[in-house]
Amino acid sequence: MEAPPVTVMPVTGGTINMMEYLLQGSVLDQSLDSLLHRLRGLCDNMEPESFADHELVYLLKGQQGNPFILRARRSLAHPTAPWHLRYLGQPEVGDKSRHALVRNCVDVAASHSLPDFLNEMGFRMDHEFVAKGHIFRKGALKMVVSKLSRVLVPGNTDNTEPLSLSYLVELSVLAPAGQDTVSEDMRSFAEQLKPLVHLEKIDPKRLM
Amino acid sequence: MSGGPAVRVSIESSCERQVQEVSLDGVETYVPPLSMSQNLAKLAQRIDFGHGSDSDEEDPSRESRESDWSKQEPEEDGKFQVSLRKLIHYKIYSSSGPMKFQPCLWPWDSVRNHLRSALTEMCVLHDVLSVVKEKKYMALDPVSQDPSVAKTPQVFQLISKKKSLATAAQLLLKGAEKLSKSVTESQEQRRQRDFNAELLHLRSQWKLRKVGDKILGDLSYRSAGSLFTHHGTFEVIKNTDIDLDKKIPDDYCPLNVQIPSDLEGSAYIKVSIQKQAPDIGDLGTVNLLRRQPKARPGTVLIHFLISAQNVLLCKEIFAQLSREAVQIKSHIPHIVVKNQIISQPFPGLQLSISLCHSTVEKKNQRTSPDKAKPDDHLYVLEHNLHQLIREFHKQTLSSSVMPHPASAPFGPKRLRLAGPMAYDKAEISCLQHGEGLLEKIVKQAKHIFLRSRTARTIDCLASRIEDPQIQAHWSNINDVYESSVKVLITSQGYEQICKSIQLQLNIGVEQIRVVHRDGRVITLSHQEQELQDFLLSQMSQHQVHAVQQLAKVMGWHVLSFSNHVGLGAVESIGNASAITVASPNGEYAVSVRNGPESGCKVLVQFPRCQTKDLPKSDVLQDGKWSHLRGPYKEVHWSRMEGRNFVYKMELLMAALTPCP
Repeated sequence: MEAPPVTVMPVTGGTINMMEYLLQGSVLDQSLDSLLHRLRGLCDNMEPESFADHELVYLLKGQQGNPFILRARRSLAHPTAPWHLRYLGQPEVGDKSRHALVRNCVDVAASHSLPDFLNEMGFRMDHEFVAKGHIFRKGALKMVVSKLSRVLVPGNTDNTEPLSLSYLVELSVLAPAGQDTVSEDMRSFAEQLKPLVHLEKIDPKRLM
Repeated sequence: MSGGPAVRVSIESSCERQVQEVSLDGVETYVPPLSMSQNLAKLAQRIDFGHGSDSDEEDPSRESRESDWSKQEPEEDGKFQVSLRKLIHYKIYSSSGPMKFQPCLWPWDSVRNHLRSALTEMCVLHDVLSVVKEKKYMALDPVSQDPSVAKTPQVFQLISKKKSLATAAQLLLKGAEKLSKSVTESQEQRRQRDFNAELLHLRSQWKLRKVGDKILGDLSYRSAGSLFTHHGTFEVIKNTDIDLDKKIPDDYCPLNVQIPSDLEGSAYIKVSIQKQAPDIGDLGTVNLLRRQPKARPGTVLIHFLISAQNVLLCKEIFAQLSREAVQIKSHIPHIVVKNQIISQPFPGLQLSISLCHSTVEKKNQRTSPDKAKPDDHLYVLEHNLHQLIREFHKQTLSSSVMPHPASAPFGPKRLRLAGPMAYDKAEISCLQHGEGLLEKIVKQAKHIFLRSRTARTIDCLASRIEDPQIQAHWSNINDVYESSVKVLITSQGYEQICKSIQLQLNIGVEQIRVVHRDGRVITLSHQEQELQDFLLSQMSQHQVHAVQQLAKVMGWHVLSFSNHVGLGAVESIGNASAITVASPNGEYAVSVRNGPESGCKVLVQFPRCQTKDLPKSDVLQDGKWSHLRGPYKEVHWSRMEGRNFVYKMELLMAALTPCP
């Protein structure tokens, strides 16, 4: 089968040229409550919302270079909500003094036929997982505390197994490129969570 | 003595007072003892001044002596002997004095003696001084003393004294200074503590933050979802304009707040519905600065802030309303003039919403011509406006819902939905569009107006028309846009049998839906006349229905019944209704026609046999034809006895029913 003519190029320009600023950390299950308590105090006064999402990671293997990765995500708690398709670029190397990881990001809301569509396009599902947790917001800052679980039987989200004994904590902001003030805000927010969780700039490539 | 008990010995003065009087019962009255002055006076009385024993004798000599002395000073010549002589003479005189008279008779003896000795001393001193002054005979030389011993210590003493005094003074001054400083400090500290405590208290109720060296508070409703652009910031300042030396007044507050000048005073939104539109020139001049200014800021800081926040909210409401008034395209455009928004919910009716903001300064220059005006506030709408703006706030807060799935970006829900669901423009706008504040309030005003007018119409009819009666039962539970009333039309005394007309009036925003008992629905517009006409026609129908019910009870037979008669005079309101009933034995028939306008007309049909004046017909010869119906005759209904229509009808029917 011939490989589909897809250019494996980062998407740039226009209104979709948004950057995700990201800080990550983790917290053990037993200290989750105190972290949530702290977040409730720090974040905008809305009721903390819990979520349960199912994420599928699709790969499109081109002829050369790295495969093209797309992440499709749907809400288990809100089955009628649209799917979310996300492209995440490579982390920007560059300014070491920047406090957060910065990467290109394209968000698209999609209909429920997204998996079929991706399959038709030639994407293949690489792995899937279920994320359950809580989401907070403080202005533009998004704080997601989630437990990642492995899906034991492909496609069956009821049958899952936790990946670890800890929760993933992510602090992210979507902003146009070049807005480094955002990372300052993120750092000061992360400072306020300091004893409970250490949010750091983690390069996924280094972990691989 | 110490061993034995102390013996108390009381010494009493023996009664040495003279008895003044002994009364018959043996009580002795004593002469009261003399006081000091009385005693003195008594003693003085004993002196015989005229018989001054020695003074008389010695007078001439004394005179001469005194003159001698007076002469002595100018003469100043060898009088030393004289003085000595005198001295001797004095001595003799003083020694011989007491012998000349009886001491017991001379109570001032000691005084005299002392005076005399003093005089002697003085004289001697005088003599000595005069001798010294002459310097002929005697010179006074100071006793020579060693100057090194005597003088230096004196100077030294002086200096040392001065020094020690200075150090003492310095110490005292230092102490005083310290003391006053500590007093000031403690006062300052207390005030600082008060300031902090007050600040803490303020912080528990208001959002405060420190910007630079200022403490800024937030009055706005932004955290509650307000989108109003006014910053609504107040500054907390330390109240330092107080004299430390003076006593701190009771109402002193170490905090003071400074609010933006446009939020001062008090404000409220006034909503009213007026009948006729005033001139455009009159608009916007509503000046209802009726409220009293609040108490001083220092005393009730919190109230001051609350009122400022209220001003802010009123301004926000008004700004929102005026923005909508300009934006919304309606048949009759809303007018925004100065502090007033005018809308026309119904023709000839005017809803005015005005922002009344009174500041303390304005209060003085204001005259109050509008005080005499009746209070036409629509408090319900004013309250609802506040509720609506809060709902609006809540909506803006809740519109930023958390995204699901969690990785999706923040943003309005409709943006996320629109793409995948392939919404078209109409669907998106349907998601987006919410009714504005003004539209809602106008709708509510319409409803309130319609409701009150309906009530008035029903009451008016009920009081005007006594037969049949109208009863209205208003429902207590209402919606802001809908309320209902149940209208019963009955006849007095026949409530049990005449229950045909029961109407449910659902009063909406623009129209009134009438639901009949049998389920028919009629929609009336907001016009007052429509409802009135409808009720009138229902009342006229009621009478015919009542006859029908009565006929059943009386055993009469209904021959025909029609709610809407097509014959006869045309009614201007609705249609006339008619009924014909026959007596139980069929001899008589009563026909009733009742129109809302023409009123009722009752006809009785007699049997043919009873009518004498019928021309004999050639055809109807047989006796059986006499059972045919005869002609109708109209009843003079107004002359009938009875308090109402149904009662009259009952009497009529009873009269036409033959006795068994």
